[in-house]
Amino acid sequence: YRDLHTFELQAPTRLIEWTRGNRVCVAGYGQSDGNEILQLIPPPTLLTKETQGLCPERDFKVECGGFSERPVYSLKYVPDTSLLVTSGPPDSSLHVWQVSAEDSDVIKSVSTIATENGTGQSWAKIATISARAPWVLHGSRLDRVQITEVESRKNVYTAASRGSEELSSLAFLDCNTLLLCCATGRLCLADTRQPQSLVEAVSVPSVPCSEQWCMGTRHGAQGLEPSSQLVARLSSKGLLTLTDLRKTSEFLALAKARVPSPASVAEFLCVSWAPALEGYLAISGFDGTVHVYDTQNWDSSGREAEPVFIHKGHAFDGGGGSGDPPLVTVHTWHLQKPRTLLSAASDGSLHVWDWVQPCGKC
Amino acid sequence: GAGQDVGRSCILVSIAGKNVMLDCGMHMGYNDDRRFPDFSYITQNGRLTDFLDCVIISHFHLDHCGALPYFSEMVGYDGPIYMTHPTKAICPILLEDYRKITVDKKGETNFFTSQMIKDCMKKVVAVHLHQTVQVDEELEIKAYYAGHVLGAAMFQIKVGCESVVYTGDYNMTPDRHLGAAWIDKCRPDLLITESTYATTIRDSKRCRERDFLKKVHETVERGGKVLIPVFALGRAQELCILLETFWERMNLKAPIYFSTGLTEKANHYYKLFITWTNQKIRKTFVQRNMFEFKHIKAFDRAFADNPGPMVVFATPGMLHAGQSLQIFRKWAGNEKNMVIMPGYCVQGTVGHKILSGQRKLEMEGRQILEVKMQVEYMSFSAHADAKGIMQLIRQAEPSNVLLVHGEAKKMEFLKQKIEQEFHVSCFMPANGETTTILTNPCIPVDISLGLLKREAAIGPLPDAKKPKLMHGTLLMKDNSFRLVSPEQALKELGLVEHQLRFTCRVHIQDPRKEHETGLRVYNHLKGILKDYSVQHLPDGSITVESILIQATAHSEDQGTKVLLVSWTYQDEELGSYLTSLLKKGLPQSTP
Repeated sequence: YRDLHTFELQAPTRLIEWTRGNRVCVAGYGQSDGNEILQLIPPPTLLTKETQGLCPERDFKVECGGFSERPVYSLKYVPDTSLLVTSGPPDSSLHVWQVSAEDSDVIKSVSTIATENGTGQSWAKIATISARAPWVLHGSRLDRVQITEVESRKNVYTAASRGSEELSSLAFLDCNTLLLCCATGRLCLADTRQPQSLVEAVSVPSVPCSEQWCMGTRHGAQGLEPSSQLVARLSSKGLLTLTDLRKTSEFLALAKARVPSPASVAEFLCVSWAPALEGYLAISGFDGTVHVYDTQNWDSSGREAEPVFIHKGHAFDGGGGSGDPPLVTVHTWHLQKPRTLLSAASDGSLHVWDWVQPCGKC
Repeated sequence: GAGQDVGRSCILVSIAGKNVMLDCGMHMGYNDDRRFPDFSYITQNGRLTDFLDCVIISHFHLDHCGALPYFSEMVGYDGPIYMTHPTKAICPILLEDYRKITVDKKGETNFFTSQMIKDCMKKVVAVHLHQTVQVDEELEIKAYYAGHVLGAAMFQIKVGCESVVYTGDYNMTPDRHLGAAWIDKCRPDLLITESTYATTIRDSKRCRERDFLKKVHETVERGGKVLIPVFALGRAQELCILLETFWERMNLKAPIYFSTGLTEKANHYYKLFITWTNQKIRKTFVQRNMFEFKHIKAFDRAFADNPGPMVVFATPGMLHAGQSLQIFRKWAGNEKNMVIMPGYCVQGTVGHKILSGQRKLEMEGRQILEVKMQVEYMSFSAHADAKGIMQLIRQAEPSNVLLVHGEAKKMEFLKQKIEQEFHVSCFMPANGETTTILTNPCIPVDISLGLLKREAAIGPLPDAKKPKLMHGTLLMKDNSFRLVSPEQALKELGLVEHQLRFTCRVHIQDPRKEHETGLRVYNHLKGILKDYSVQHLPDGSITVESILIQATAHSEDQGTKVLLVSWTYQDEELGSYLTSLLKKGLPQSTP
């Protein structure tokens, strides 16, 4: 490690989202009521380029907080606004919140975006963009994907239905292109200008139903040409596929992550690309560790890949030692510092760590 | 002070007619009158002794006791000042230290003198933990362990059945030399708690200690010297324990020194107040003196000139005078050396200047000192965070909570959090603002056994969901309250019971004789009032339960009969009912 800071949140979070002004949001998911959404100011040590050892301000500060009546499973900041959108069980409706940190430290609930409640619907996955207007893309299943304008709550787009599989994540590639990833691993592209078409990307290698998949796209869809998009998919058995969206008929690369056993709880699977390090990605959700991989030399053989770095802090820090070992619920990369990550686990811990490139690969 | 503001804590509480001042602190950010609390809120002129029943100081930090000599000697107060034994021992040292900086270094004139500090401390009454202290016949106080620094306490103030708990600064997680704050389920009407760190999510202690050790180690490895200016007590012990353990583990040879005077004082105080440290220290102290270290030795002035690496703890803490400043001047010019400032430095001190980034300092005699050594800052201060505050509220179970020591806009979230979780009211007043808390006083009343037995025998047993109404007489005599049966009350007071009877006249049309009318009424009522006891007496009158009805002839009109309905006060309801029933008239076809 170059640096490691450990913090303890009052309640565990399964999301870490960057919001306006370099703030970070976390939220509780455990209780049925009284979950807190917290917008945190990271310690100044994280915001400067230099890594300072001793610094008066080493702590996260809670800038503002809100109370959610339901568990918060997903939270996204709506760019260019002071709004947040959250989703969580028991249904696929969304909640919109207003953050006005200068006036008060309470995040206020503004409105609810309701959706039709089909039976057995789980919570909605969300993505946001502010191109023509602040939009939120949401849906819990492939046949229930829509885009809603955040402020007016009007529906501006509904995706054509191509099956009713559960979605594991979705993303805006740009203001017209959507990427949808199903829990089965199926990847679909859609164009908002052509509501009826849904382009399939290549499916995943094996289709035993026990595997669950999630995807990671490069952060900050706005500004990047869709043609340079690499999508990574991670399965609960540790399989990683890389797909180039220009050539969706084949895999760019296929590898197996070094995980001891398949993830028992697929909902915390997380894969993300480093915003400032070409070709690096991180995965978590199998146990109390986060793996960092360099994908630049990967091929399509499906061989086991060697992680460049493994963060084990959550597994060791486990406070009382009683109960199950902590499971990493989410991780994210720092937007500017190339090797800094933030990760959270089911015991409420929040770690910020900066890893050192191992010598052989310099 | 300290209402939505950090610094100069001073809270005035009026409880059941008693006035108590909680803390008397100084604001470290100001140089003028704003550094002291504004006592004109209490009275515009004159001495404060008449207005206050007592003053309580929670701990020795200057933002809680720094204005005490000013308050007691310059404004004027001669009543008792309560604080714990360690606080009483340490306060004067810090006050004198601060006085020296302000007067000698900064040349201020309107400040308290050394004699004033001494006179002030003469008014102090020291208390023990969990000891109930009677301030006067009605007012009592009790101190609880607060952690935070040596001798810090939370205070419960009680008058009759109303109470307030003031936390001062406290900490809910134990550290190397102090335990965690603790209070019992005392259920005060109001809990006043600090909320400075409510919005902070602290970096774990392990990480901070690790970084501290790393810096010290790096400096020592490259042959540099590390200066750590400290107060005589508190964090210094924590850091010594930390370094000693590290040195032992890493088998390091560089010497660590603790400046003279410091060792003796520290040991002296810790021996005196061993009960105030945590469990672990107390256990080890029994085996060996915890503050006699294997790797840490007493410092001699001459050692500062020795070549090679070393670590030195020296007083005073802000580098404003004395040994630490001397050492600093010797070592400042070498970039291999390091100074680690352990806490807040008052404006005007060298410590404050170098922490602000100044690297060229003007010393006495216009000498310029160039600071090439590394300047680091580290805070190990222990305050409760949001989780800790919630824990304390859960322990004490107050009916209301008041937040101090935080910044206005940043306490709204905590306020809502507390209100939602504990269903209590939460207040956050600004300086000068008065908050009124309504309490539900409990008045104990003794109930006579006879009355209790009698009432309990009637009807179903009392249930939490169905309170039972009972009748009795409340006797208030000589400050005692008793609930007895009315008969007993009459007997005790030598009074005769009066009976109240109401009589109502109902006119009905009936030309027949009185006793026939009476019979009609009887049959009518008997038919309707199936659940009541309706009787026809030999003299012609009718009784319904205890209500009497008599039919008489109207004096002037033969066709009208007058029914006299008569009942006692207790039967009001039935009486009214019968009256209205009879007013409706009798049915025509009655035998």
